[in-house]
Amino acid sequence: MRLIWIHEDAMTLDHPVVVAAGDEAKPIFIWDTVRHDHLGYSLKRRMFIYESVLDLDIPIYAGDTYASLMELSAGQPIYAADTPDPYVQDMLRRLRETQEVFVIDAPAFVDIPEGTDTKRFFRFWNQAKASAMMTTEDIQANKTPSKDK
Amino acid sequence: MKQSDDSSIISSLAVKLIMRARYNDRKAVLEQVRMLSPGLDPHDQNMSELRGGMSAARTRLAALDASGYGATRNYLDGAVTQLSPFIRHGLIQLSDVRDKALADTPPQRAEKFIQQLAWRDYWQRLYRDAPEDIWNDVESYKTGFVAADYADALPEDIALGETGVACIDQFIGTLLTTGYLHNHARLYLAAYVCHWRRVKWQAGARWFLQHLLDGDPASNNLSWQWVASTFSHKPYFFNLENIEKYSGQSIDTAFKRNKPLAGSYDDIYTRLFPNLEPR
Ligand SMILES: Cc1cc2nc3c(=O)[nH]c(=O)nc-3n(C[C@H](O)[C@H](O)[C@H](O)COP(=O)(O)OP(=O)(O)OC[C@H]3O[C@@H](n4cnc5c(N)ncnc54)[C@H](O)[C@@H]3O)c2cc1C
Repeated sequence: MRLIWIHEDAMTLDHPVVVAAGDEAKPIFIWDTVRHDHLGYSLKRRMFIYESVLDLDIPIYAGDTYASLMELSAGQPIYAADTPDPYVQDMLRRLRETQEVFVIDAPAFVDIPEGTDTKRFFRFWNQAKASAMMTTEDIQANKTPSKDK
Repeated sequence: MKQSDDSSIISSLAVKLIMRARYNDRKAVLEQVRMLSPGLDPHDQNMSELRGGMSAARTRLAALDASGYGATRNYLDGAVTQLSPFIRHGLIQLSDVRDKALADTPPQRAEKFIQQLAWRDYWQRLYRDAPEDIWNDVESYKTGFVAADYADALPEDIALGETGVACIDQFIGTLLTTGYLHNHARLYLAAYVCHWRRVKWQAGARWFLQHLLDGDPASNNLSWQWVASTFSHKPYFFNLENIEKYSGQSIDTAFKRNKPLAGSYDDIYTRLFPNLEPR
């Protein structure tokens, strides 16, 4: 069965990754306490995360993230929301060695040309403002064609 | 999508299916979190009033007041949203928040709020482009000191909120008990740690990430670097008068209990950065 790995950067079922994975896919959450210990998370943070996943009403498994995903997916495709977090990216890279992995992004907040200068915020904002002030629907309708098209 | 299928109990060494507590039974949730967190310090008792979950996220989003935001956001009791933990953990997307602001508020009045949302998008882009910058100095300090002049570890009196500087201790108390701080309080606290106490921003950033419910490696660490001056043109600092102006009645800004923070900007600058040319 296809798995949707609901990780701590996208704790929602209202995300394009859920649509992309299809009706038969199973969303799951892995509670990796060793990871939380490593990050030094206080009780408050763990409570917030746990309450957020409880509210999603999906199965929660306790274990090492990588080992759990390997075992639960049993070689079937894994879907996950995109995130810049190198820990999640590394996990997905390792899983990709043994099975199909699909990484799906949420709708973009702004549409800016590739190569925009992001050295300081206001240079970014000058480029981003026009699309930031549009609704997401309008951004998608007006999307800047990517360079290679 | 297949809804939660608890029947497929998997038993192996690697992974264990959890019998979930009911969301509404907070005591049971707390017990379960403790049970699932054997490495957690048993003395850590602070549970925030702020609850996780989609319903809590939606309630906050519904209360959004983007039009009053621009004029009051710098005040500790201003119209800020406390949406950050939900955004940080992806319960709601920045684009949803923006769309809600534009639906309720004319674009011009919503602009300041949307610009603040863009800060998060900006930090996340930098995180993706250069993850190594998250824990390393992006640039050198512009304080007249070098990195080696700063302490590696967070002093214990700071960690415990016992610095003896009244308003700083109040901000720390709020951080430890609620897991949320207003942006201005974060700036004050970060500047106190880096510049008054000359502690490496990394130590402060790690401490914030342990406690902030919205703790995010990009927004947090790059903001710390902005305060420290390793990702800005100059160090951020403040004086007691500034806290007085923005904090209202709830914060103890009495001179005699906050002496290290008192003085004009020029005086404090000379005190904190003695190797730089006076302002
Ligand atoms: C030292 C320091 C550490 C910080 N650590 C974090 C952190 O770990 N996680 C975090 O999300 N933010 C962090 N911030 C940024 C900012 O303080 C918080 O996002 C904001 O205070 C959250 O409260 P709010 O939701 O009420 O914000 P609002 O003012 O209501 O803003 C709405 C949303 O916009 C985004 N936002 C607003 N201002 C900023 C900003 N300056 N940078 C990034 N995003 C912003 C947040 O997602 C926020 O929820 C930090 C700032 C400083 C100075």
